[in-house]
Amino acid sequence: MMLKKVLAVVLVLVLSLSIMGCSNDAENTTDEVTSSTDNSSNEESTDTESSNETTNDEEEIVLRMAWWGSQKRHDITAEVIALYESQNPNVKIEYEFYDFDGYITNLNTLVAANDVWDLFQLGGNFPTYLDRILPLNDYIDQGIIDASNTTDAFLKTTQFEDMQLSLSSGVNTYGIAYDPEMFAQAGVPEPTNEWTWADYEAAAMKIHEELGIFGSSKIEDFIAGASMGISQEGFDYNFFAPSNVQLGFDDPSMLEDYLAMRKRLVDAGAYPDPGALSEITDIESDFLVTGEAPMTWVAANQLPTLAEAAGKELKIVPVPRKEANGPSGMTIQSSQMFCIAKGSEHPEEAAKFLNFFINDVEANKILAAERGIPIVSNVREALETDLTDVQKRMYDYVDLVGSFETGVINVISPPEQAEIQDYYELVLTQVIFDEKTPAEAAEEIFNFATDKFNQ
Amino acid sequence: MKQVDKKKGHNQLVRKELIAGYVFAAPFIIGFLGFTIIPMIISFYYSFTDFNLISEETFIGVKNYLRLFSDQRFLKSVRVTLIYVFSSVPLKLIFALAVAGLLTQQKRGVGLYRAVYYLPSLIGGSIAVSLVWRELFARRGLVNYLFESIGLDRISWFGDQRMAMIPLILISVWQFGSSMIIFAAGLKQIPVTYYEAARIDGANRFQVLHRITLPSISPIILYNTVMQTIAAFMSFTQAFVITGGGPNDATNFYSLYVYRQAFTYYDMGYASAMSWVMLLLIGAVTLIIFKTSKFWVFTESGD
Repeated sequence: MMLKKVLAVVLVLVLSLSIMGCSNDAENTTDEVTSSTDNSSNEESTDTESSNETTNDEEEIVLRMAWWGSQKRHDITAEVIALYESQNPNVKIEYEFYDFDGYITNLNTLVAANDVWDLFQLGGNFPTYLDRILPLNDYIDQGIIDASNTTDAFLKTTQFEDMQLSLSSGVNTYGIAYDPEMFAQAGVPEPTNEWTWADYEAAAMKIHEELGIFGSSKIEDFIAGASMGISQEGFDYNFFAPSNVQLGFDDPSMLEDYLAMRKRLVDAGAYPDPGALSEITDIESDFLVTGEAPMTWVAANQLPTLAEAAGKELKIVPVPRKEANGPSGMTIQSSQMFCIAKGSEHPEEAAKFLNFFINDVEANKILAAERGIPIVSNVREALETDLTDVQKRMYDYVDLVGSFETGVINVISPPEQAEIQDYYELVLTQVIFDEKTPAEAAEEIFNFATDKFNQ
Repeated sequence: MKQVDKKKGHNQLVRKELIAGYVFAAPFIIGFLGFTIIPMIISFYYSFTDFNLISEETFIGVKNYLRLFSDQRFLKSVRVTLIYVFSSVPLKLIFALAVAGLLTQQKRGVGLYRAVYYLPSLIGGSIAVSLVWRELFARRGLVNYLFESIGLDRISWFGDQRMAMIPLILISVWQFGSSMIIFAAGLKQIPVTYYEAARIDGANRFQVLHRITLPSISPIILYNTVMQTIAAFMSFTQAFVITGGGPNDATNFYSLYVYRQAFTYYDMGYASAMSWVMLLLIGAVTLIIFKTSKFWVFTESGD
């Protein structure tokens, strides 16, 4: 009898724990929302139900906002939201944040339900969501959003046809972050701004032999081998044509070299095998951070976060090229932006917040270019007055890539990209497992991608 | 007059009970309609369209269904799912039966053990448990540590396409609890006299198991086989969290590939078509199990 009672209690506990586990995420978010507004003067008025209690006559406005990113990004964005709420007591911003995959899944569900957050973050994947983005042209014309302190080139990074989809939260580019100490230890010269994939391979092999660690952490294969890889073939080439309705090259063999190199590196143990790669889930578990590799792929805006996580002085160089004096295949792009949802109940309030987010110096001091280099000149100047060493390297690096001579480089992903990219990575694994030669694999990727656009 | 009153009262009582019945059944009925039947009907419609969650769908006939046959990734996902089902379900049932056999003996604390062994089934489907298993089989995880300590080489479990399935099968076997409880209930139903008679006749343990225990619980084996097979076909969380379907799609289970088409590639129409084919596939496998059951399931009516 006693036993049964104990058992019942245990089972109830287990059940309630598992239920709590399910609801934990949601609660956390709201908790942080409330705690972040604790400091603001309008604590009472933040309650949506009690608009009659507000200290001023203005109507209580609730904006919903969401983004993806690292813990650091979540913390600083929440801080900026709290700052805005303290200056605008009638506005309350309910925010949610996710990792990238979780964010996209949630976004798609909300898109299907026509209930997207008022302010939502998008990157180069915006073409998929064009129907749901409210263009900002009117707000810019009315002066609600100030777009005067930036350049046309920067505005163009977030334009589609004549629509200004948003202002970029920051511009960036990709690069290879490396630990100079490890290179020195292995007696390998540090990479240069014009290094090639052959240099990369030689360095990775040598460091692997000398130090017994991986020669490189995870490289974004599709961007390195396909997007940039094709653009490195010549100024006229892109993996996806700038129109984004077809491929921008016609010779599959352009994909071969990278696939072959990746196989050689994995075979030699100088690059993580697929099992080890699956253990890299975020910046904290990157092998450069854990000390198991001397270099890794990085989006330039993440360099400070990466260096902080690694606790090392990291440097950054461009992604290797095919030829030392050939095209870099790299360009400056909008890292991400906050779009206003079509169907938002308070688009004008959202626009006001966006203006604050982009143009306010105080806010951007908190944001610290974590989403990329600010495009607003006075904001950038204010930030540049006190940079840490690693932040300075990030600014210099983005400027350097901006000075590269390029053709038209397409950095916008068509909706077909997700599946083509997965397929690219799948076939690359088959090359590594000796099921296909690099030539066969290149041909297959080309045909698969071509088919996707002809379906 | 009295008679009529009585009848009226009776009718009222029946109606009251009817209403109460419907009220109590309402949560299920609403849930079943709202979360099962209606979505199923909608997905059937979507399977004939190119719906992508975001823009308006257009009708494209059976194109989605035809595409399945030329999709190599799909065919491979069917293959790995079948391998998973036909290796994990028998192992799990054998394990569940063995443990149930131990736990139906009259010993102290058996009830507690039964509860403890049931725990993995309660929590097994969760993300957290999957993460724990991923760590166990990681490059420097506990399993490789044990392998090294007895002089074996480390294995890259999730980097080798022949190995990646094994941890997933083991998790499934580890969640043997619900089958075990049902087996235990069945084992207790077997009259003790059968065993006494066998002992008097001098039967050995294997003969007892083969001639008495298994035939007596064969209807329960059938039930467990069917339920576990269906569950195995639908397994998703472990592969999603632990391997992500890799390497080289070696653990790209059917439901994972459906998810991927739906929520990564935005191809809802295609994913809906795959779901319907899955329903047919599970239906067919279940039917085969039922058809073969008359050769091995023992029923007392002896039809």
